[in-house]
Amino acid sequence: MEFSHISLAHGNGGRFMRELITGLFARHLGNPWLDTDVDAARVPIGDHGEIVVTTDGFTVQPLEFPGGNIGSLAVHGTVNDLAVAGARPLYLTLNAFIEEGLELAQLERFLAAMSAAATEAAVHIVAGDTKVVPRGQGSGVYFATTGIGVREHGIELGMGRILPGDRVLVSGPVGDHGTAVMLAREEFGLRGDLASDAASVLPVTQALLGVPGLRFMRDPTRGGLATVVHEIAHATGATVRLQEPDIPVRDPVRSVCEMLGYDPMYLACEGRVVSVVAPESADAALAAMRSVGCPEAAIVGEVAAGRAQAVLVTELGGERLLEELEDDPLPRIC
Amino acid sequence: MVARRLTITGRVQGVGFRPFLHRLAHDTGVRGWVRNVAGRVEAHVEGPAESVAAFVAGVTAQAPPLARPRLETDVEGVPGGAAEFRILGSGEGSPDQASVPPDHFACDDCLAEMRDPHARRHRYPFINCTQCGPRYTIIDHLPYDRPNTSMAGFPLCPECRAEYENPLDRRFHAQPLACAACGPRLEFRAPGVEPVTGNEPALAACVAALRAGRVVAAKGIGGYHLLCDAASAAAVARLRANKPRPHKPLAVLVPQAGADGLDGVRAVAAPEPAHAAALADPMRPIVLTPVRPTAPLAEGIAPGLGEVGLMLPYSPLHHLLLEAFGGPLVATSANLSGEPVLTDAGAVESRLGRVAEGYLHHDRPIRRPADDAVYRVIRGRPRPIRPGRGGAPLELELSRPVARPVLAVGGQMKNTIALAWGRRAVVSPHIGELGAPRSQAVFEQVVTDLQALYGVRAERVACDAHPDYSASRWARGCGLPVIPVFHHHAHAAALAGERGLDEALLVFAWDGTGYGADGTLWGGEALLGRPGGWERVGALRPFRLPGGDKAGRQPWRSALALAWETGSDWDAAPGDRALLRAAWERGLNTPLSSAAGRLFDAAAAWVLGITEASFEGQGPMWLEAAATGALADTAPAVPLIRDESGLWRSDWAPLVPWLQDAGLPAQVRAAGFHAALAGALLDQARAVRHDCGVTRVGLTGGVFQNRLLTELAADRLEADGFEVLLHERVPANDAGISFGQIVEATAAD
Ligand SMILES: [Fe+3]
Ligand SMILES: [Mg+2]
Ligand SMILES: [Zn+2]
Ligand SMILES: [Zn+2]
Repeated sequence: MEFSHISLAHGNGGRFMRELITGLFARHLGNPWLDTDVDAARVPIGDHGEIVVTTDGFTVQPLEFPGGNIGSLAVHGTVNDLAVAGARPLYLTLNAFIEEGLELAQLERFLAAMSAAATEAAVHIVAGDTKVVPRGQGSGVYFATTGIGVREHGIELGMGRILPGDRVLVSGPVGDHGTAVMLAREEFGLRGDLASDAASVLPVTQALLGVPGLRFMRDPTRGGLATVVHEIAHATGATVRLQEPDIPVRDPVRSVCEMLGYDPMYLACEGRVVSVVAPESADAALAAMRSVGCPEAAIVGEVAAGRAQAVLVTELGGERLLEELEDDPLPRIC
Repeated sequence: MVARRLTITGRVQGVGFRPFLHRLAHDTGVRGWVRNVAGRVEAHVEGPAESVAAFVAGVTAQAPPLARPRLETDVEGVPGGAAEFRILGSGEGSPDQASVPPDHFACDDCLAEMRDPHARRHRYPFINCTQCGPRYTIIDHLPYDRPNTSMAGFPLCPECRAEYENPLDRRFHAQPLACAACGPRLEFRAPGVEPVTGNEPALAACVAALRAGRVVAAKGIGGYHLLCDAASAAAVARLRANKPRPHKPLAVLVPQAGADGLDGVRAVAAPEPAHAAALADPMRPIVLTPVRPTAPLAEGIAPGLGEVGLMLPYSPLHHLLLEAFGGPLVATSANLSGEPVLTDAGAVESRLGRVAEGYLHHDRPIRRPADDAVYRVIRGRPRPIRPGRGGAPLELELSRPVARPVLAVGGQMKNTIALAWGRRAVVSPHIGELGAPRSQAVFEQVVTDLQALYGVRAERVACDAHPDYSASRWARGCGLPVIPVFHHHAHAAALAGERGLDEALLVFAWDGTGYGADGTLWGGEALLGRPGGWERVGALRPFRLPGGDKAGRQPWRSALALAWETGSDWDAAPGDRALLRAAWERGLNTPLSSAAGRLFDAAAAWVLGITEASFEGQGPMWLEAAATGALADTAPAVPLIRDESGLWRSDWAPLVPWLQDAGLPAQVRAAGFHAALAGALLDQARAVRHDCGVTRVGLTGGVFQNRLLTELAADRLEADGFEVLLHERVPANDAGISFGQIVEATAAD
């Protein structure tokens, strides 16, 4: 390729763009179903399943952070959305919005990471679209991915299935991604002990799907664990009570949050699953997660009859409402 | 023969008002009738002109102690040839003119009867009459009749019924009337022991447990207390360790003894006349009273402070307990930190099982919590710190009627709510810190109850402008039009409103942070104007608070902020300071604040080493106590600068190195800091007076619970020719926010 940087021309639909796609995107992401000459791919589906489709946009800043980059995230995010829906992800589509001036080498790193993530999750990126926006109108690159998966007959999941008495579990420590990205964004210097948890949760969801009594799964991304349990409470009209001492939070995450005044309950994860299971299945669900490399998976709370509210019970028995996140948390202490 | 038709409003229900009129009619020789109608009392009297005149005069002049009657109308009636004076049944109608009576301390008559071995209610812990007993905490709804209270489940025995129905008996229509045969009973429970039933055995078991140094959760009027021997350092230490509550001062119940009842108080404290009067007030509040250094109280009761919260027994049960125990008892609200006081046996046993070692229950349900009220004497008068039992609901008269009923949902900390209609405003007792499920549930219950009790339906809701306050979220979701009020506008309006002032005044609203009109966190503001029209004319130099909300309980953050803001550093701050510094420089979770409360925190961190506060306000309170007795004027002056927007800004920067000067005694630095802030306040007031001529100055916000600062500032203001206004009925702290929201939100009506 005769260029080292993205120019506006790479988004104009002409030669430069074609070269970018064939020479870079297809080289990394090519597969039998990817046809860079058409806008949509026809994809085969399984005989017995149903199609599950999702799409997601990725605008993380910074683009690279300890534990991942926007490329791997664009796959994990969409794969995880399919996975927690009980599906096996099969295909993704990719939109790339690239800002004029992005270094090509960096873009290549994202695509390499994307490819690796896709391979790991056994998904194929089967269609794509590329736009280049003028300098200053983007933040390096944005990705949008659409995912298609299949779900086998008989898998019934949803908040509507949750009953009082059910247990709430997480597959691992919370707040890693939010903390790592925040520190990287602010260029606070590298800390060896903090990395994003961004990963495919497919092994976890596949393991959980084998547990009878599984009601619901969700990946706690933006807004974190607190936001998921808040949604569960309001969708079910029940009280979700989390036990703070049981919620895994890594020490470095805890200490950064403590210092800077953030609440790990509200920080994003990109490689965790929140699940709700029947009480008698809680131990089985825990064992299933531990068997697929989640040693810190934990039962963190339960659903109880009562008003629709998410409650955090502290070590000393105090209770705090986990309220819906506001845009810009301001101190409330008077 | 003449006739008059009277309508009497005010507090005339639940206070023995109709039996009083019956006796008054008998004494003055008039005939006719009286009845309750929709919160008012209507009376018709006829007889010789001078008898009728004497009756009318006596209605207000001779009213029973609990009553607050107002003769609303007094018009000529038509003599109907009545043969006697009768008490008629209650009429129907809206109770919006009614007063909800507060819970009242045990009256002298009942106490005498309780101590009389021959009386039917000898040593009965729930004795009461029309002049005393629970009210607000047992009422389900008005009209205030027994079936509408939590006494509905206690059918009267024949003797009690006879008293209840006899117009000449002092228990005529005493709704909580009861005796040992038909009324509530005590039960004592402790882990691993058979429950002790029966009033005397339960009382004895409770006292034995207290004597043994145990912590007992005992049910009172508005909730449970945690009780323990106030002289036992071990008992106090265990209560603190198990609650846990390492430093927050504990209130102490002292026996009522001696001619004026205050011998028990004087045994432990040195009350000024204002303290004595406040302690003996029918409200029976907790009064922060200067403690004697030699007082026989355990050391851990109010660590770091020169005052202790004392309270006289107010219910018959408390009298019996104190008399049997024979000394002062710690009596702190049985709750989890910041939450409303617990009222229910099951909840107390399940939630306080870690701290309580015994339980004194009774079976009269508490319908809604009411903590003990708290007062502090400042400038010779008791100033409310916490509205509560005995004074709740607090009723205030507005200077102008509101156009439509309005509900105000208050602040986040020390939450109270208020309701206003016509020219009336009522403020709930202290609910607590919002954000916990129980706080939210009690908050919503009181919102519903207050409207139901008074038969008033709010048509709009005033709330704090802070988008993230729990009460503000509730307001946005309640379906009524919402009027956001800035926090410090509400503080200022609360002060103006309790005085009915409509002229311009200058209000210093100093507290620990609230959402300001410019999106920063105010808390050291000078506001000029009147309700509905405040202009910010002065403030403290702003600084960026690293870690936002965390600064409220971590005074080291404020100290670090001031150091960084003035180009220095502070090594004693804990944790990864480089990380925090990086966040501070980038503005990450470091809101800009001008809060005086945070200056106090910084000073407490430097002078006393209080880097972490175990309760709200610990740093400022300890700093004030540390300053006691020192000469004041040694701190560098705080320069006053007019900034580019025309705002007068006091720059605290010269205090930063001075407060850290370990060569100066802590006492000198603590006192000097108070004097410097009082001086800064005076300078601002003078500058504003020079600009616009205002001479009336109000002091409000939680910082002015500080007696030393308030008295220094007020003395200097008065010496300089200002008139100074302090709170008398509504707390200066955030418990007054709800009333301020009412005043501010309805200023344009
Ligand atoms: Fe305030
Ligand atoms: Mg997503
Ligand atoms: Zn009485
Ligand atoms: Zn009886």
